[in-house]
Amino acid sequence: MVSTSFPWLTTLILLPLVASLFIPVLPDKQGKTVRWYALGIGLLDFALSVYAVSSQYNFQNSDFQLAESYVWVPQVGINWSVAIDGISMPLVILAGLVTTLSMLAAWQVKEKPRLFYFLMLVMYSAQIGVFCAQDMIQFFLMWEVELVPVYILISIWGGQKRLYAATKFILYTAIGSIFILVAALAMAFYGDVMTFNMHELGLKQYSLPFELLVYAGLLIAYGVKLPIFPLHTWLPDAHGEASAPVSMILAGVLLKMGGYALIRMNIEMLPHAHAYFAPVLAILGIVNIIYGALASFAQRNLKRRMAYSSISHMGFVLLGIASFTELGMNGAVLQMLSHGLIAPALFFLAGIVYDRTHTLDMDDMGGLAKKMPTTFALFTICSMASLALPGMSGFVGELAVFLGFTTSDAYTATFKGVVVLLAAVGLIITPIYLLSMLRDMFYGKEGKAVVQAVVLDVKPREFFIAACLLLPIIGIGLYPKLATETYDVKTVAIASHARNAVPVVANQTFKDQPQFSIAEQPPFGIAPKMPIANPELLGMVR
Amino acid sequence: MEFIYQYAWLIPVLPLAGAMLVGLGLITFGKDINRLRSVNSVFIVSLIGAAMTFAFGLFWSQLQGHAPYTRSFEWAAAGDFHLTMGYVIDPLSSLMLVIVTTVALLVMIYTDGYMAHDPGYVRFYAYLSLFSSSMLGLVISPNLVQVYIFWELVGMCSYLLIGFWYDRKAAADACQKAFVTNRVGDFGLLLGILGLYWATRSFDFGMIGERLQDLVATGSISGFLAALFAILVFLGPVAKSAQFPLHVWLPDAMEGPTPISALIHAATMVAAGVFLIARMFPVFEGIPAAMSVIAWTGAFTAFLGATIAITQNDIKKGLAYSTMSQLGYMVMAMGVGAYSAGLFHLMTHAYFKAMLFLGSGSVIHGMESVVGHDPAYAQDMRMMGGLRKYMPMTAITFLIGTLAISGIPPFAGFWSKDEILSSAFAANPLLWLIGYGTAGVTAFYMFRMYFSTFEGKFRGTDANVKQTIRNEQLQNMGLAFGPGAMDPRELTMDAPLGETVDPGQDEHHAHEPHESPLTMTLPLLILAIPSTLIGLVGTPFANYFEAFIHAPGEVVQLASEAGQETLSEFYVMAGSSVGISLIGISLAVLMYLSRKLDPGAIAAKIPFFYRLSKNKWYFDEFYDQFFVQGSRRLARQVLEVDSKVVDGVVNLAGLVTLLTGEGLKYLENGRAQFYALIIFVAVLGLVIFSGVS
Repeated sequence: MVSTSFPWLTTLILLPLVASLFIPVLPDKQGKTVRWYALGIGLLDFALSVYAVSSQYNFQNSDFQLAESYVWVPQVGINWSVAIDGISMPLVILAGLVTTLSMLAAWQVKEKPRLFYFLMLVMYSAQIGVFCAQDMIQFFLMWEVELVPVYILISIWGGQKRLYAATKFILYTAIGSIFILVAALAMAFYGDVMTFNMHELGLKQYSLPFELLVYAGLLIAYGVKLPIFPLHTWLPDAHGEASAPVSMILAGVLLKMGGYALIRMNIEMLPHAHAYFAPVLAILGIVNIIYGALASFAQRNLKRRMAYSSISHMGFVLLGIASFTELGMNGAVLQMLSHGLIAPALFFLAGIVYDRTHTLDMDDMGGLAKKMPTTFALFTICSMASLALPGMSGFVGELAVFLGFTTSDAYTATFKGVVVLLAAVGLIITPIYLLSMLRDMFYGKEGKAVVQAVVLDVKPREFFIAACLLLPIIGIGLYPKLATETYDVKTVAIASHARNAVPVVANQTFKDQPQFSIAEQPPFGIAPKMPIANPELLGMVR
Repeated sequence: MEFIYQYAWLIPVLPLAGAMLVGLGLITFGKDINRLRSVNSVFIVSLIGAAMTFAFGLFWSQLQGHAPYTRSFEWAAAGDFHLTMGYVIDPLSSLMLVIVTTVALLVMIYTDGYMAHDPGYVRFYAYLSLFSSSMLGLVISPNLVQVYIFWELVGMCSYLLIGFWYDRKAAADACQKAFVTNRVGDFGLLLGILGLYWATRSFDFGMIGERLQDLVATGSISGFLAALFAILVFLGPVAKSAQFPLHVWLPDAMEGPTPISALIHAATMVAAGVFLIARMFPVFEGIPAAMSVIAWTGAFTAFLGATIAITQNDIKKGLAYSTMSQLGYMVMAMGVGAYSAGLFHLMTHAYFKAMLFLGSGSVIHGMESVVGHDPAYAQDMRMMGGLRKYMPMTAITFLIGTLAISGIPPFAGFWSKDEILSSAFAANPLLWLIGYGTAGVTAFYMFRMYFSTFEGKFRGTDANVKQTIRNEQLQNMGLAFGPGAMDPRELTMDAPLGETVDPGQDEHHAHEPHESPLTMTLPLLILAIPSTLIGLVGTPFANYFEAFIHAPGEVVQLASEAGQETLSEFYVMAGSSVGISLIGISLAVLMYLSRKLDPGAIAAKIPFFYRLSKNKWYFDEFYDQFFVQGSRRLARQVLEVDSKVVDGVVNLAGLVTLLTGEGLKYLENGRAQFYALIIFVAVLGLVIFSGVS
C-alpha cells in the first residue's frame, strides 16, 4: 500500500481521541467550555473528513484510497493500516455528521459533562477507526474500543432501567465480538502465509467448510450488531434506555457497523460461503422486516417503538446484500445511509418530546400538535421519510433493494416472488405503526402528560439539528445520484465479485434454495459482469 | 410553440416552489407567516394560475395536432441499471393538466371564503399547493416508477389534508385509515411494477404492453402470471379510486375541510386511478382476464356506492358514496375497453362533482351560522331544508350538478354516462344492466339530497330533529364501546357532542342561514358552465372528445361516418337511460318534495335492506374486526414472543446461567456490572499492552 503525502485517515481517527485526553484538564464552568470544545473538535474532524474525501478521493475508483500502513506490532504482524473505499467513505462522513450533531443535541447535559464529552469523542474515534481499518486485529480493537463508551453512556445517562440495558448491550456485543477475534485468528493462520491484512485475507483460497464456518461466526457477530433476528433483543433495551444523543449514535452509526462489516468481510472476503448463506440472509431479512414492524406496532413506549422500527428497516439491508445484483447492493448501502439519517432524526425528536413532557409512554401523550406545531411538522416529515415516502431517501433505498432482488438471477422465480411479496407486506405495516405513533402523540385531545407540561416548541438549536439531518434525506430523495454516484463503482464491483463466486448448480428448484443459473445467459441480455467504469457515469461526477 | 414544451416542467414545479416557500416559512417563522394571510394565498393562487395558463397553452397546442413530447433525464443509476424521470405531454396528459389546474384554481379561490376564520388558513394553502404539484407531476409521468412516486405523494397530501383539523379524533382516525388503505393498494401496485419489470425489463407503458404480449405469445411467461401482474397493478387504482373492496377510506375522508373533498376526493386524486388504468391500457388491453376483473370491480362499486348513498343523512358522506359510484362507472368503462368514454366521464364528473362538493361546503358554511361548528349538525340534511330561499346561488348551481349527475340532457353527465352504458351493453348486457339500474338509483338519491337540502321548510332550529341526531350519535358512540357498555345516553346527554363544539360560537347564533361570500359563490358559478356544456364536446353526433383522446393505436371514426345505425342505437339507449333517471327523480319528488310517500314507512317494510344500506353493507365493522383488531392482536403476540421466547432463549444461550433473563435483574445493584466492566477493560488493556511490548 502506498501512503499519501498526508496521513488523512490516521489524523481523522486520532484527532478526537487525542483531543479527548485534554478534557480532564480543561478549565471549565458548569460544563460550558467542555461542550464548546467537544463540538469544535467534532466539527473540525467532520470538516477534515469532508475535505479529505472531496480533495483526495476519486469517486470513479473502486479500489481502496487514502491508504496508509504502518507497522504496529511487528512480532505478530499487526499493522496500523487504514484506507477507505466506496463502502466505508460514505459511512465515515455519516459517522462524523451524526456524532457531531449528537454532541450538539446533548447541549444540556447537566450530569458529569466532562465524562460525557470525553466518551463521545472516544466513540467518535472508534467509529471512524472501524470503518477505516484494513487490518483484522486493528478492526477488532476499534470495534471493542467503541463498546466501552457506549456502555458507560447508557449506564450513567440512561433511563430507568439503564443498568439492565447497558449490561445486556455489552454482553451481547462482547460475546458477539469474540467470534470476530476467533474468525480473524483462524483466517490469519490458514494456509502458508500468516497475515491480518484484510486485502490479503480476501485473496486466500479457503476450503469451503472452513469458509462456511468462518462466515457463520462472523454472521453471529455482525448479526448482533445490525441486528438480525433472533439476536436483536438487546437493541430495544439499549435504544430505549439511552438518552437521546446516545440513541442517535446507536441507531445512526453503530447499527451500520454491522451492515458494513457484513459487506466488507462476509461478501468481500468469503464470497463462496456467501453464495450458500445468501438465501438464509434473505429469509432473515424478511423476518426482520415483518417481525420488527409488528413488534414495533405493539409497543407503547415511543423510543422502543422506534428501536423495533430500526430492526425492520435493517431487514432491507440484508435483502440487498443477498441479492447478488449491483442494484441490490447499491440499495443496501443507500438504505444504511438513509436509515443513518432518519433514525437519528426520529430519536432526536423523541428526545425533544421527552424533554417537554417527561414521558415516553404514548398513552400519556396526545394533542401535542397545538402546543408544538413545529415539532409536529418535523416529526411528520421524519415519519414520512421512515415509511419510505418517495421524495425522501428511504424510498430510494427500498426501491433499489426491491428492484435488485427482483432482477436477481441467482434465485428461482418462486423464491424471489415469495421474498418480495413478504418484504412488501412490511410496506403496509410500517405506516400503521408510524402513523399511529403520530396520531397518539399529536392528534386528538391532550393527554395526561401534555396537560400538565409547560410545553415549548423547538428551540433554534434543535431546529438546526433536525434541519441538518433532513436536508440530506430530502436531497437524496429528490436526486438519488447525489449519494449513489459516490460509491456506485464499488457496489458494482462487490456485486460482480459475489456473483462470480456463485457455483453452477443445475436444476435446483427447492423453494428456499437458490437456483444458480449460469450468469452468461440471463434474460434480456443483462450483462453478467459489470464494466469497470460506465462512461456515462464518469461524466456525472467531477 | 416549442418553448412551452421545453418549460412544461414548470407546471408541477411552480406550485411545489410555492408550497416549499410557504411551508418553510411556517416552520421557521410560524407566527409571522400566519399573519400574512392574503399575501400567502395570493402568492399560491397566482402560481397555480400561471401553471393553468401553461396547461391551457399545451392543451391548445395538442388540440392543433402537435406530436406528443417527451423529455427525460437520468434520475437514478446503479451499474447497468438506469432509471429516468421526466414528463410526457400528449393529449391525455394535457387534458388532465387542464382539469387539475382549473379545479385546483377554483378550489383555492373558494378556500379563501371557506377557511376565512380558520387559524390554519396559511397551512391549508401550503398543503393545497403541495397537492396540486404532486397531482400535476402524476399526470405527466412518462413511466410507472414516476407514477408510483407521485401516487404516494398525492396519498400523503391527502393524509395531511384529511387530518387537517388534528384536534378532532375522527379526523385523526380518518387520515390514518386513508393512508393505510391506500398503502394496501400501493403494495399491489409496487408488486405489479416489480413483476412487470422482471418480465419485460421496462417501466415504459407502451413498451411493457408490447413486450408482455410477445412473452405471452411465445410462451416465456404464462398468461396467468401476466394477468396476475396486471391485477396487482390494478390494486393501486382500486385503493386510490375507492373501488370495492378498498373503498372504505373515502367516506371517512370527508372529515377533511370541504374544499379538499372537492379537489382531492372528488375531482382529481380519486380519478388518478382511472388515469392510471388509461395509461396502462396498452398492458391491460391484451389481458382479457384483467379487463374483466376491472369491469366487474367497477360495476359492483358503482352499484354498491349508489345503494349506500340512498340512506346517508350527512350531505358530504352522501356525495362521497356518489363519487365512489361514479368512479365505478369510469373503471367499468375502462374494463370494457371504452377508453375515451371512461376519460370523458372523468372530465365531466370532475367539474360537476367539484361543483356539488363546493356547493355542499357552501351549505355547511351557511348552516354553521345557525347550528354551530359541529359537523354532526351542520352536515346533516335532516337539519336543512328550504335553503333555496336563503342561498339562491348555491341552490341553482347544486341543481345543475344534480341534473348533470342524474344524466338529464343536455347536462354534462348525460353524454358521458350514456357513452359508458352503450359500451357496456356492447361488451356484456349484464354489466349494462347494473350500470343502468345504478343510474336510476343515482337520480333518486341525488334528488333526495337536493330536495331535503334546498326545498321544503328550514328545520335547522327544530329541537326535535336535533335531539334525534344527538341520540343517534350517542348510540353510535355506545356501539363503539361494545355491547357490554351501559347505555351512554344516560350519562352524556348533557355533555357537548364531539370535541368540535366551539363554546364561543354557540352564544350568538343566527336564526337563518345566509348565502356564502362571493369568493365561494364565484367558483360555483364558473363550474356551472362546464357542468352544463362540456358534455357537448362528446356527443355521438360529433365526438370531438374521442377524436382527441383515444386509446393508443386505436383508429377513431366519427359517428357521422359510422352511419345511421349507431345513431338510432343511441336514441334507444339514451331514451331508456333518461327514462330510468326520470323514474328515480319522480320517486324522489314523491318522497321528499311533495311527501306523498313516507320514506320511513318504506324503510320499515324492508328493514334488512335499509339497515344494510345505512350501515354501509357492514364493511367497516367487518374490516375493523378482521384487519384492525386482527393486526393488533398479531402485533401483541409477536411482542409477547419477543420478550418471553426470543429474549429468553438468546439469554440462555448467552453462556453464563447467571446472566440469563431473570438473572440480569439481580445484577441491577450496579456493583456486579462495575466488576464486569473492570475485568473487560483489563482484558482489553492486556491485549493491547502485550501486543505493544
